[in-house]
Amino acid sequence: MVTADKLNELQLEPEAPELDLSWLNLDTVWGVSAEPGRKGLTLQQINKTIYGEIPTTSEDSSARPRGAAPPEGATPRMTPWVLGDATETFSDSAALLYDEAVSRQWSSATDIPWDTLDELPEDIERAMVQLCTSLTEVEFIAGDVPGKWLPRIAADHFESGLFLMSQVMDEARHTDVFRKRALANGGGLLLQGGGGGLRQILEAEDFTQMSSMLHILGEGFVQSLFRLGELIAHNEAEKRIFRLAAQDESRHVAYGVTHLKYTLEHEPEKAEEVHWTLDMFEDTLVDPDQANPGLAGALVYLLGDGDVDEGWRLFWHVRRKQVLEYLHRLDVAGLGGRLETGRLHPSLAGALDEN
Amino acid sequence: MPDNDVIAAAKERLEQSGLPSTWLDIPVHWGVKAKEQATPENGGLRFQMLNVDVYGEVPEYWDNNTEIPRGAVPDTRTEQMGYSIFNKAEVWSDLCADLYEDAIADRWNSSADIPWDSLEPIGADLERAVCQIATLMSEYGWTKAQTTGRWLQEISYGYIEVKLFLGTVVFDAARMFEVWRKRALANGGGMGRGGRNWKFLPLTQSYTFSEFVVASIMHDSMLLTLLRRGEQLARTDAERRIYQLCEQDLERHLAYFVDHMRYLMLKEPVRREEIHRYMNKAEWYLAKDGDDTLYSALAVIMGDGREGAEEAMADVAELRREQIETYLGYLRQCHLADRQDRLNEELRKWAGMVELEEEEKIPV
Repeated sequence: MVTADKLNELQLEPEAPELDLSWLNLDTVWGVSAEPGRKGLTLQQINKTIYGEIPTTSEDSSARPRGAAPPEGATPRMTPWVLGDATETFSDSAALLYDEAVSRQWSSATDIPWDTLDELPEDIERAMVQLCTSLTEVEFIAGDVPGKWLPRIAADHFESGLFLMSQVMDEARHTDVFRKRALANGGGLLLQGGGGGLRQILEAEDFTQMSSMLHILGEGFVQSLFRLGELIAHNEAEKRIFRLAAQDESRHVAYGVTHLKYTLEHEPEKAEEVHWTLDMFEDTLVDPDQANPGLAGALVYLLGDGDVDEGWRLFWHVRRKQVLEYLHRLDVAGLGGRLETGRLHPSLAGALDEN
Repeated sequence: MPDNDVIAAAKERLEQSGLPSTWLDIPVHWGVKAKEQATPENGGLRFQMLNVDVYGEVPEYWDNNTEIPRGAVPDTRTEQMGYSIFNKAEVWSDLCADLYEDAIADRWNSSADIPWDSLEPIGADLERAVCQIATLMSEYGWTKAQTTGRWLQEISYGYIEVKLFLGTVVFDAARMFEVWRKRALANGGGMGRGGRNWKFLPLTQSYTFSEFVVASIMHDSMLLTLLRRGEQLARTDAERRIYQLCEQDLERHLAYFVDHMRYLMLKEPVRREEIHRYMNKAEWYLAKDGDDTLYSALAVIMGDGREGAEEAMADVAELRREQIETYLGYLRQCHLADRQDRLNEELRKWAGMVELEEEEKIPV
């Protein structure tokens, strides 16, 4: 029988790694320092000298951070292909939006006053849990999509990568908070939606097309709705959920708008491609066959607090706001004119006529 | 109990207005009141508290390829979404829901939670060494976020807890990337040299989630060992805090990976040999990577400069031995204790383990 002592005796000296000090004499830019500012040490503050210079193209498919020296010897390709052209993924605001995401993280467990959820009339509770069923579903896909694109972001354009990583976290929290609301107050999960364009976002194989659908149109509509959450909410818990989720969605929309702006400034010929994508996605959004049978009904019901006529009136108020804000975002991104040229889907253009 | 009169009246109003009302007919699992368990003392309304009734039934096989929430009623018109993981054993850990909430509760901000003003000049060699380590840490954060993120689109809603937790891993890894980049660029230094990174290929190339998990256990456990030496390696409070916070995050990640692998080994022991093959691959790439830059930079720090580096290599070798021990320790927790006898030959040397042939002669 061998004892532990005996095994210890048999322990050999661990082999030491080879000492290689060649990295002490690298030709990288040296002498960079940064002072924390009012918000601490943000990404903006370290984006100095060569380290802050965003290459317009990157052929580096490794994980090497921007500005680092290349390794010695053979290196593997880490990902089958990267989107090396900055116009494909970059946004001037990505670093700022990431910093803001990190500083504004919240907890659905402790930052929502769940104790303010009083028992609601059954029809209202049903409408709220139907809305939350649809929303947890939508947010679920919104987290899958940035995850899909992460391996394709060049490390040289890490700001966009970081932003998408923060979006994955935000969407996890949204998926979670709407599921929590559905199951917190005596209700349950109701009817799944009928797709409503989620598949188109997931299957897009061009980043800018995906971002136009997800960040600008899809999340833009959701953000406009959440900002009117006061009209839907029946207690402080629900108001807080919509307020915090809207804050997150604002960042996502801002990324989409600034990315599209950057892309169109550098590749204006891409405008028609984006228009075409929006034609397709608007069509899906308003297609009755694609519509979530529960979502519209529950939303109208909640807006009117059970009064369906009043709910419809407010629904068109929300839709009008969604469309106006959507058009404004496209204007800012440099893709104006969808309404004026008759390209906006008639159902959405019609919303602008409503009082 | 449902109030049928209220619902009937609601249906009538909706139908008169041309709105669908089918969602009001759905037999709801009524009466789930998760809020009643939530108190400040038990961490508020945590995800695990939702797992009651039908909503907490995590199926062995999830048969829906859409984004339908677990416990909701399907709409059969919905297109399939391309998920590929429908088997609980492939991803599950009972710890996921709690680890997800813990990650959020432990959140930190590299801009404001690191005492950056504690940074001070530490000498050229040491600054170079810290920046070199920071560069490689940053690279691993990037790789970890990318490789974890890509699995999100594969996992169906049946295992929502897993996806939520992996979302936090992606975010933690993002922070790991940027906090170390900040350290490299904050104190008069700059970025060092990128890694050769053959060792990360088993993460990027993994065809199955299990393969990704065992490669993650290897890399994370080795990194965790290093982070635990933060007190010895840090030269300032800022670095000390970075080591601590990254360690805290990585411990959560390993808790999931290890508990999941233990679950898989219990549920599907037939996969043991397959898992060993993934470990063979991960260890082979690690052994053959041949890039000792990280260990050399550690030697400069431990030796307090390049002059002391040679002598410090014995300490570095001890650290590397500990890394292998930690890795094997986590595998023992996964019911993979037999890995000790199958460890890659090169890694055995790193750990100072007796060579296999000699060991096999010992009657234990």
